[in-house]
Amino acid sequence: MAKAEAFALPESTLWERIKTFVNAELINILAVLLFLLLAFFLLYPILAVLIKSIRGPQGYTLSYYVKFLSKGYYYQSLINTLLLGTINTIICLGVGFCLAYLTTRGPLGLRKPLKLLTMMPLIAPPYLFALSLIILFGRNGIITNAFHLKWSIYGFSGVVIAQTLAFIPLAYLMIENTIRSLNPNLEESAYDMGATEATIIRTVTIPLLTPGILKAGLLVFVMTIAEFGNAAILGGRTPFLAPDTYTMIIGEGDFEMGSVLSVMLIMPCIIIFFMHNYMLKGKGYTTISGKPVASEPRKMTPYIKIPFIIVSFAAGLAIVICFGLVLVASFVKILGVKNEIVFSHIKDLECNLAIYNSTKVSLIAALIGATIGTLLAYVIVRGKFFGRSFIEMISLSGFALPGTVIGIGYLLAFNAPPLKLTGGIIILALNCVFRFLAVGVEAGISKLHQISIEIEEASSDLGANFMTTFYKVVLPLMFPAFIAGFIYTFMTTMVSLSAVVFLVSPGFELAAVRIFDRAIYGEIGLASATTMKLVIIVIICMILLNFATRKTGLDISKKGG
Amino acid sequence: MKGKSIFTVVAAIVSVVFLVSYVSAQEVRVYMGLSPENNVKVVNFVKEKTGIQILQTFQSFGEIEAKVKSEAPNFNADMVTGCGSPLAFMAKKNKWAAPYDSPGWKGATSEFFDPDKYWFNMSNFTFVLVGNRDKLKEKGYTLPNSWRGLLDPKWKDQIVMPSPLSSGTANMIRYTFLALYGEEKGWKFIADLDKNIHHYSRSGNAPTDLVGRGEFLLGITSHENVKKRIDEGYPLIWTIPEEGTGYDGTFAFIFPGTKMTDACKKIIDAMGSLEFSKMMAEMGYVTPRPAYNALFGDKPLNYVKLDLGWAAENRPKWNDIWKEKFRTEFK
Repeated sequence: MAKAEAFALPESTLWERIKTFVNAELINILAVLLFLLLAFFLLYPILAVLIKSIRGPQGYTLSYYVKFLSKGYYYQSLINTLLLGTINTIICLGVGFCLAYLTTRGPLGLRKPLKLLTMMPLIAPPYLFALSLIILFGRNGIITNAFHLKWSIYGFSGVVIAQTLAFIPLAYLMIENTIRSLNPNLEESAYDMGATEATIIRTVTIPLLTPGILKAGLLVFVMTIAEFGNAAILGGRTPFLAPDTYTMIIGEGDFEMGSVLSVMLIMPCIIIFFMHNYMLKGKGYTTISGKPVASEPRKMTPYIKIPFIIVSFAAGLAIVICFGLVLVASFVKILGVKNEIVFSHIKDLECNLAIYNSTKVSLIAALIGATIGTLLAYVIVRGKFFGRSFIEMISLSGFALPGTVIGIGYLLAFNAPPLKLTGGIIILALNCVFRFLAVGVEAGISKLHQISIEIEEASSDLGANFMTTFYKVVLPLMFPAFIAGFIYTFMTTMVSLSAVVFLVSPGFELAAVRIFDRAIYGEIGLASATTMKLVIIVIICMILLNFATRKTGLDISKKGG
Repeated sequence: MKGKSIFTVVAAIVSVVFLVSYVSAQEVRVYMGLSPENNVKVVNFVKEKTGIQILQTFQSFGEIEAKVKSEAPNFNADMVTGCGSPLAFMAKKNKWAAPYDSPGWKGATSEFFDPDKYWFNMSNFTFVLVGNRDKLKEKGYTLPNSWRGLLDPKWKDQIVMPSPLSSGTANMIRYTFLALYGEEKGWKFIADLDKNIHHYSRSGNAPTDLVGRGEFLLGITSHENVKKRIDEGYPLIWTIPEEGTGYDGTFAFIFPGTKMTDACKKIIDAMGSLEFSKMMAEMGYVTPRPAYNALFGDKPLNYVKLDLGWAAENRPKWNDIWKEKFRTEFK
């Protein structure tokens, strides 16, 4: 304030003084506003869960935790969850790496089809795989009957398979992004000096990819333990934390125990989040700066290529079969029971309304999310105020927060006046905005690091005020980051279930929730048809967006995520 | 500006989407606990008779109860159509329901509406034993004619039933067994049955589909979709074992303080009509006005003697016992 007053002329009006003040301090004002938003919509709900877990009817108590730790069931649930997360992360990273390596270093003709194939599950609800696996391996499944299998899909192994298939694309996307920004020169010089391809992968490629692999691992782990669709459909009596939390809150109204389970779910995620930050601290992973030099693709050695291709093809085939089955199931009366072609599943109007709602919520969430993400990135990189890294940490923590917990947090935090937001569409959008914020923020930060501050300084030297500079210089430059945030938020909001399932209300049902309800109810046909329609809508939206960005001369594939 | 043009495009899309959504008829938000398909039938009936559009999400009885409890007194809906007796009695006691003297219900069987007019029971539903005809034949088994027959070890991992923590059907199954055998022996029976249960489903209708698709041999399930699934061609067979079955209502009430009270009242009135009873009876429900029952026929059902008040009162205690026995002790 003192600073602003010093600049202001004595005869200036109050309005002018405010204007000068705002102009000088805009970035700090923005920072405070954004921090308040984060605190209110991200920290407060988590805090609400924490408080609920230690508050009984007679005041504060740890009795719910004692109950959690003393019952074998909950303990087993925790062990299963961690085991599922670990196994899944390892498999997803392994397969994801094979795929990413093949699509960037492998045979040219293979790259594009394999990439498209692997990305498919990103646009479908993760529990699509539970549906397909039941059709194939259920007790009355096609493969079970054909080979008289004794293996039961209902249980731990079934959940692992479904979750792995669902999250391979995520691991692939993160690793592929890092591989592409890797300068191949380093690998080539190793090759020229006589190193075998295996040695190069082990000693050059993987170490350089560490940040990408760690980030992928973190994301896959958190998503696996939080997205409960597959576990709820295939789990049988095997307990997992996320579906149990869901049943406790939604089915039984046991908010205290549900909150304890949430806290247990969030703890490993936060530990891994800090470990991941710690491991990356103070190490340089940047290869030679500047644009990568285009070079002739090296031929992969057969004894690397063949296993990589086998792994990738197996994963790709599984994904194709699962998608194919859903496509077929949406046109068949009761797949496996009454194989008649019908169109009633496709025509179901109730589901169309839910898809319409999903699209609406996703567009709103993507718009708000991308805007806030871009602004946050700007404030974090260009701001010079106390607590900057704290804001950065909070906005990136979305990566590590299980959707289930954020959903319950919103339910607890925003259900009573004066903050009553439940029962409408806005809470669904806000929830997704803050859950998926991290991607936009990160893209923005990496974009801003590439833009020299001199451009902005030049603009302000030429007399432009902060707003003009921001609007005319910064915003256009950051646009790819905005688009990256927009697309990620849009896509994930369309298909994610774990948080919004707690927040839907009559008239504001979302497609992902609808499909889950139908699936768990046993109506595979309707669930499949709705999934198909959802996938088509997502694809259309992506094509439109792609087209729009092309028109404006920007390439989304160059997003910095 | 490149950034500006795409921003304009997106903003335009969003505003169009918003505009479209605000042009709509008189809408009432309702928590509905029948099976999803039967909910839709009720929605269509109400739309046809009153012109009121019901907005609903499908939830099981337990879910509706949890939701209403957690939201009270700031409900995110205008009324409930289809919840179990525990919530209906609780709503009356806690004044979560607004009384309404409906002219539409004059002359209906008196057990079906509250003497003080807080709740209205759209119809009674019940549970049956279902089996997969083809799979049973394959194994050479027949549908047991007594509930005790389910305890045979040959059914191990072959039976599915809903979870009484989230499903009203399962709550009804549980209090029926407790009434049939007495509390002590009843719990023993449920514990023995648990040994053969593969898993407990979230919703009361799920076993019908799971058994129909041949995933499991037997299911204890709500009658609601049984007829429809058989008509659709599922190889389902059903029976009510000789000991009889239980029942619960599908209750409707209006939340106090809703802005849509008049519309809600019209919906309640419509539910008291003979036409509504006829529609429900066609789905196999036992109705407030006598109508031909498409699933059970003219013969009155063999009910175990029940006291719904006793069942509602003891439910929290029984839930604790059930949780302790079958959920928190991992086997």
